[in-house]
Amino acid sequence: MGQLNLNKVQKFYGTFEVLKGIELEVRNGEFVVFVGPSGCGKSTLLRMIAGLDETSSGDIMIDGKRVNDLPPVKRGIAMVFQSYALYPHMTVFENIAFPLRVEKMQEDKLKAKVENAARILHLDQRLQQKPGLLSGGQRQRVAIGRAIVREPKIFLFDEPLSNLDAALRADMRIELAKLHKQLKATMIYVTHDQIEAMTMADRIVVLNAGEISQTGAPLELYHKPANMFVAGFIGNPRMNMLPVTCKAVTDAGVEIEFKGQSATIPVAGRADLVGQPLTLGIRPEHIQFGKSDLTMNLTPTVIERLGAQTVAYASLDGESENFCAMLPGSAPIRTDETVSIGVGAADCHLFDGSGIALERRVALTDIDVGLLKIAGG
Amino acid sequence: MSTQPAMINRYRWYELISIYAGIFLFLTFILAPFVEGFLVSLKPLGLLFSSPYRFWPENGSFTAYRTMWVSVPGFARYIFNSFFISIIVTAMVLILVIPASYAFARFKFRGSGLLLGAFLAVTMFSGAVLLIPLFRLMRTFGLLNTYFAMIVPSVAFLIPSAIWLLRTYMMRIPRELDEAAFVDGASHFYTLRRVILPIAMPGITVVAITTFIGSYAQQFIFALTFNSKTEYMPLPVGLFAYFGRQEVIWNELMAASFVGITPAIIVIFFLQRYLVSGLTAGAVKQ
Repeated sequence: MGQLNLNKVQKFYGTFEVLKGIELEVRNGEFVVFVGPSGCGKSTLLRMIAGLDETSSGDIMIDGKRVNDLPPVKRGIAMVFQSYALYPHMTVFENIAFPLRVEKMQEDKLKAKVENAARILHLDQRLQQKPGLLSGGQRQRVAIGRAIVREPKIFLFDEPLSNLDAALRADMRIELAKLHKQLKATMIYVTHDQIEAMTMADRIVVLNAGEISQTGAPLELYHKPANMFVAGFIGNPRMNMLPVTCKAVTDAGVEIEFKGQSATIPVAGRADLVGQPLTLGIRPEHIQFGKSDLTMNLTPTVIERLGAQTVAYASLDGESENFCAMLPGSAPIRTDETVSIGVGAADCHLFDGSGIALERRVALTDIDVGLLKIAGG
Repeated sequence: MSTQPAMINRYRWYELISIYAGIFLFLTFILAPFVEGFLVSLKPLGLLFSSPYRFWPENGSFTAYRTMWVSVPGFARYIFNSFFISIIVTAMVLILVIPASYAFARFKFRGSGLLLGAFLAVTMFSGAVLLIPLFRLMRTFGLLNTYFAMIVPSVAFLIPSAIWLLRTYMMRIPRELDEAAFVDGASHFYTLRRVILPIAMPGITVVAITTFIGSYAQQFIFALTFNSKTEYMPLPVGLFAYFGRQEVIWNELMAASFVGITPAIIVIFFLQRYLVSGLTAGAVKQ
């Protein structure tokens, strides 16, 4: 079992409130990712769950038991550090065996456990080497090995891949996902990398300035961000935000006016929005050539050609604003040559004056891909 | 190409010459007394004050190295005493300083800065300033004329610099190692013994060497004031035995000095082999 509940968890450094009453439930076997910009408190929250940092107020419950005052080892957690934190004078075997040595486990049982962990992590051939001889990925695997031999209820990962290069990071992502499937343990993973969050998480917790901005499945966050912060944080390149005015609220959605054009965005509106300024969110990947529900003139200033996509940073309708468009393939655009682009109203996001999203009408299959049927199947 | 030094280490010919000239100058100042002492030890006593003075010994021989044992029969004992006192002092300092510097490096507690400052202030007093109070203290405790009289003050005066040295070294050991051990259930003492101690070995070696040398150097003043028993005399005081009523046996004195420091040189030579750097390689990404 590895059920974690956070109940109004707060953290103060002096008078500065780092975490502002976090409420969260992590179910047994779930892979939850804490994501957010640096300084949002995600690492602090993880260290509080681990028992490395004091909790100022609120309850941390593991399997229904309050663990606030217990040391890490009694909480049934294991932690993998960003910097690996391997013991350089010990062999890989001794590094993995360390928690068991602390427990004073019998030698034959210990050996079996360490070898089993090493097999899972493909470290069998490295057991007698020192960490200094290993590559970054192998070192990180040793650190994970040290966590899994203890068979904890909850695994905590503090940005474990951020020291690896890009290719290795992609490999380790897949290995971690496999490991989660194999161990069926609860895992909590802190990262600032949204790709790691999107690819590995069952559920993502987006933190901003010490508060949970939104909790949800990766695609739910992408398609239905609850506010402008999440909308801007999830998705790469960032969502474009444009100021618009609300003209009318109908059953079909909210009618907006944007530079003389009007369009009805299919979102749940409220009557009091009429006449109010709103923010229109357009993801760069939803922009196409030619006319659509909303049409704009785009003058690229910088073009990045990635092969599969072309990313254009541009000014919109002659304004100097930095607008980003991602077009498929090698798009026929040039710098300083104006082209006409369009966005479908159904792809747009709409936020009210306080930055809260108006709920989009999105097909459920977009959020839970498990509902999709394989064609012909 | 691999034999070429790195770009940052390339010098012009005149730079090289001035570097070596500088090294030579300093080495001369440092080593000249040793060379002269060694040459004196080879000369027969009668030729020492020959005029004109000659550096290079005529009829040089190692006779003094044999006769020194005869003219001062207790000399081996003095070497042993020096060695013994320094070893005990070093061991005691290490036993006290390792946990102390771990605490100063890792734990935040009220007054830690003040305590460190106090330790630094103590080192500013030399032992000589405190000789009289120390003497009274020793007399009260009945420690005069024992090995303890030379060991205890040495330990006390060597602890502060040892703490400062080792604390700095331990602060360089990544804190994550302590945290990882803590998460795995290790106590502070277990972490210190199994994780910190092995990694801090080069730092501990430096402290051991400086303490050993420091104790060797400090013995003289404590031995001279707190001890009057011949059998407890360490080397620096023992050398006075070569100062006779009529004359100083200079060649034997020099020979005795060289023989006396040999054990210390051997110890230091072995200790410095543990001064390997890069022991933390692979602990954390740096």
